[in-house]
Amino acid sequence: MDRRTFLKASAGAVAGTVLANQLTSALAQGGLEGEDIANLEKGLRQVLGKSFKDLTPSQQVKLVAPTIAESGANVPVEIEASLPADQVKAIHCFCDKNANPLLFTVVLNGVLPYYATRVRVAETAPVRAVVETKDGRLLMASQSVRVTVGGCG
Amino acid sequence: MAINILVRFNPARPKAGDEVRVQIVVQHPMEPGTRRDASGKLIPADHINEVNVTMDGQLIAQVKPGPGTSANPLFAFKMKANKAGQLKVTCKDLNGQTGERTADLTLA
Repeated sequence: MDRRTFLKASAGAVAGTVLANQLTSALAQGGLEGEDIANLEKGLRQVLGKSFKDLTPSQQVKLVAPTIAESGANVPVEIEASLPADQVKAIHCFCDKNANPLLFTVVLNGVLPYYATRVRVAETAPVRAVVETKDGRLLMASQSVRVTVGGCG
Repeated sequence: MAINILVRFNPARPKAGDEVRVQIVVQHPMEPGTRRDASGKLIPADHINEVNVTMDGQLIAQVKPGPGTSANPLFAFKMKANKAGQLKVTCKDLNGQTGERTADLTLA
């Protein structure tokens, strides 16, 4: 095997492994309590023009939210990305079962990739943090929040 | 009536180069437009839909909260305190009301 074919073959092997890793982590992210991808897609299409499949679950995004929230009207959410500040363009946050799945969008310009706020969650559903990078990648972190009293009416 | 905004730096006087957390609290009911009053009528949506944060005139962050943001919302950022400056927060709600607050960041 000459060098060229070896390089090609190894590149293919690496790409395959990466893809497999993404697939397993995507599966690991699935099956969250109260998942409603159809409703979530509605918000994703409206805001990003993308579908759920375009989001990459990533360890680089950290989402801190309570697993059980007493009141859905006031759920503290903290999002942090372990990426250089100049690579992060915006942070979006979605909730699967809200009537309007988009919770907020933050466009960052010169601040660190961190954002904390308090959101409303209608009923038990995953909250998803989507970090949009300058090169167009969409990195996601999800966490299911169990709500005893809904926050949207 | 103007919207009241509170701004706090944590730590209040950071050292140059340190991380500082900027906490912004806006006093606003944030009606999502899905709630009903006692007689069963929908309460019209009235929430903040734009918050702009500038540092010395340069836009550093823009938040677009949807109806899914809590009443009296908190918006918190982290930034590097490289130099002292003036932070200005402006916000706007669906009824066209605006609020504005400036805060000076001083270094220790």
